[in-house]
Amino acid sequence: MTMKKTVLTIVAAFALICAAVAFKNAYSCEMPIKNRGIRDAINAGDLKTVFLGSSTFRANIDMPMMDEAYDGKVYDISYGGNELVATVIQYEEIRKRSDHEYGLFVFELGPMMLTQDVSLSDSRVIWDLSWEGKRELWKRMKESGNTDASMMYEYFVTSGMDDLITFPVTEPFYSTRYYKGAKTDETVSPGKDVLENEKFDISREEYVDAQIRAVSDIIKACRGDGQDFIFVESPCYHRLQEDEKYKECRERYLAILKENDAPFILAQDVSFDSGNAEYFEDMNHMSAKGRKEYTKELIRVLKEREDH
Amino acid sequence: MSLVSLPFYIFMCVLLLLYYRVRQKDQWKVLLLAGLFFYVWSDPFMIIFLLISVFATWKLMLNPVKSHFIWVLVINLGILIAFKYSVNLGVKDLAAPLGISYYTFMTIGYAHDCYDKKIEPQRDLFRYALFVSFFPQMTQGPIGVYQEMMPQLEEYHGFDPDNIKKGAYRILIGIFKKMVIAGRVAYYIDTVYSDPEGFPGLTLIIATFFYLIELYADFSGYMDIVCGISKMMGINLKENFKRPYLSKNIPEYWTRWHISLNEWYKTHLFMPCVTSGFNRNFAKGLAKVFRKAKKGTLRLILPTIIVWITTGIWHGARLSYLGWGVYFAIVMLLSFTTQSYVKKLNEKIHWNKDNVFVKVFQVVRTFVIVGIGEVIFRSESFSDAVAIFRKIVTDTRINASSIAQAMTPFGNGNQAAASVLILSVLILAQLIIEIAKERDEKAFTGHRYIYALAMMVTIVLFGVSGASNFMYQTF
Repeated sequence: MTMKKTVLTIVAAFALICAAVAFKNAYSCEMPIKNRGIRDAINAGDLKTVFLGSSTFRANIDMPMMDEAYDGKVYDISYGGNELVATVIQYEEIRKRSDHEYGLFVFELGPMMLTQDVSLSDSRVIWDLSWEGKRELWKRMKESGNTDASMMYEYFVTSGMDDLITFPVTEPFYSTRYYKGAKTDETVSPGKDVLENEKFDISREEYVDAQIRAVSDIIKACRGDGQDFIFVESPCYHRLQEDEKYKECRERYLAILKENDAPFILAQDVSFDSGNAEYFEDMNHMSAKGRKEYTKELIRVLKEREDH
Repeated sequence: MSLVSLPFYIFMCVLLLLYYRVRQKDQWKVLLLAGLFFYVWSDPFMIIFLLISVFATWKLMLNPVKSHFIWVLVINLGILIAFKYSVNLGVKDLAAPLGISYYTFMTIGYAHDCYDKKIEPQRDLFRYALFVSFFPQMTQGPIGVYQEMMPQLEEYHGFDPDNIKKGAYRILIGIFKKMVIAGRVAYYIDTVYSDPEGFPGLTLIIATFFYLIELYADFSGYMDIVCGISKMMGINLKENFKRPYLSKNIPEYWTRWHISLNEWYKTHLFMPCVTSGFNRNFAKGLAKVFRKAKKGTLRLILPTIIVWITTGIWHGARLSYLGWGVYFAIVMLLSFTTQSYVKKLNEKIHWNKDNVFVKVFQVVRTFVIVGIGEVIFRSESFSDAVAIFRKIVTDTRINASSIAQAMTPFGNGNQAAASVLILSVLILAQLIIEIAKERDEKAFTGHRYIYALAMMVTIVLFGVSGASNFMYQTF
């Protein structure tokens, strides 16, 4: 009898684990997440502009202003540390799951993205991708040699599980922090002293081939779908933007775009003072004040392009 | 070889098969070989120091005279000091052999007991080697006492499914504590303590609270695993923890935390110090200054200072460890010396010790005192500890902004709320179990299958997979 109970306990635990893992991997993309992510963007219907990038886009886009400019037909899909290989998969996922029309896809021209490892940078990526998308991203991570058994376990089993189990309690809290994928927090600058003294060293960053190929893949995928697109560089705090390695990476990124004859907007094309510490929360992300200022100018540049 | 890794459990399965299949008289030999195999796998070169310690101690203690006992101390403490304090001695930083602190203490304990004629020296080198190298307790304790361990290790243990089940259940509890609780809070603590100046007081208080949780979950989780492993082989190890955070005062706390180390100190250092002639003279000197003080209390002062400073530096060659030892020496001395005054005061204000609020107050007070000590212990340097205390005192505010800041070390905003929620549930559950067990040792012993099921699911889905090293292993 006790042996039977022991076996039953192990079998029941195994079944519960399998059910949770299967649910997370197959159905997490269908969870009713509000105000952010691929599913909510698709549910928003036809859109004039879709931003797809990292937390830089999330922090630097003022959505109410965008809303006004694009009649509410705009969305910002972003993930913490999102990199280019994942961006390709996210774009393809949207096109596959959605029948809606999208006027313009705005991709992030983040020079340092070329040096990022292919990885799961944000557990929200796991949530938003379908099973096929998850498998594809894993395949790309594996091809880049960035996987091991422990990472596989984390990717397919534990990652995002916290959010899944606490979903009914945490989702209402999370959803108030975003509006159409962009941040609603009124973030403030930590001050010039902090930003001027913040240490960073990107001099040893190296290019990752998969990320370089991914830029061309994004362009190819958009052209294949007849989708209008553009790459936009968000201004960083002047110390980062003037860094030699940063400039070198930007040149490399631009070379790929030019090679593929792809449209882009550089930080310098938008009238914005990247030396103003009040505009930044840290080196990469803008404060609420900077976000408003930048969005106003970005809308103007995007509209000008539209008119041409 | 980590105790929370797949290779270790494969090793355990093979070992159990062998252990219960060999002839009765050979069972202890399997344990000895397993211990040596475990050591070689974990730390191949360093086994030489274990073998030196085993052989020298065994050989010298065959004739347990004073000079031999001194030689045992010189050899074992010499190796220990050379490895643990090499940096301070101006030599290059040497990686200490696995479990050196623990087997050194076991060895010295054995030699002391032989010298004191409490036990008969072990005539068989290999049996003695088994006592020192019994693999579950070798790396992190509990520090085994020869007269308690040896009979169990030599004795034949037949296969008992009940032992296997009880052992497996205990292992499950240990893995749960280590991977789910300790693993989850570790990231927060590391983030905050690596840059204490960068966080406000509230975050530092939370990180310290988490550190106390981590220390307990990690260390007692390890003990659960080794007790479970031993139980599977029919061997009962000494318990090393008895719900320490429910202690009502600091002396009580130290009878419930790392019990085997504290008993070792009591037997092999504290008591010999108390009864030494030097201490008697020292106490007499003190009595001339503190005329009203009790003689018994004065005789505890020097041994307490020695024991706590030794305990502090036992952890390693860091000023913060020494500071931690001095802090607890002061707390213990205050506790001894003010005992009679506190008793009188309690009578005056009609302090009812049985009142539940008084008990809660005492437990919280003890927890806070321990927490202060652990800030010193955990800080990278003494100046970091000072900075943490300063920030806690001058920069602690409880408002929406400081609460939001306190959540940042959990990772980006999207994961913080879920992490906080899960951690709160886990810590609360652990607290409820400990309180229930404090009231009734048999609490939560029924429905074990349901608890086992819940733990298995939680470990797999919410455990931190990279958390394989135990904190006390480094000491």
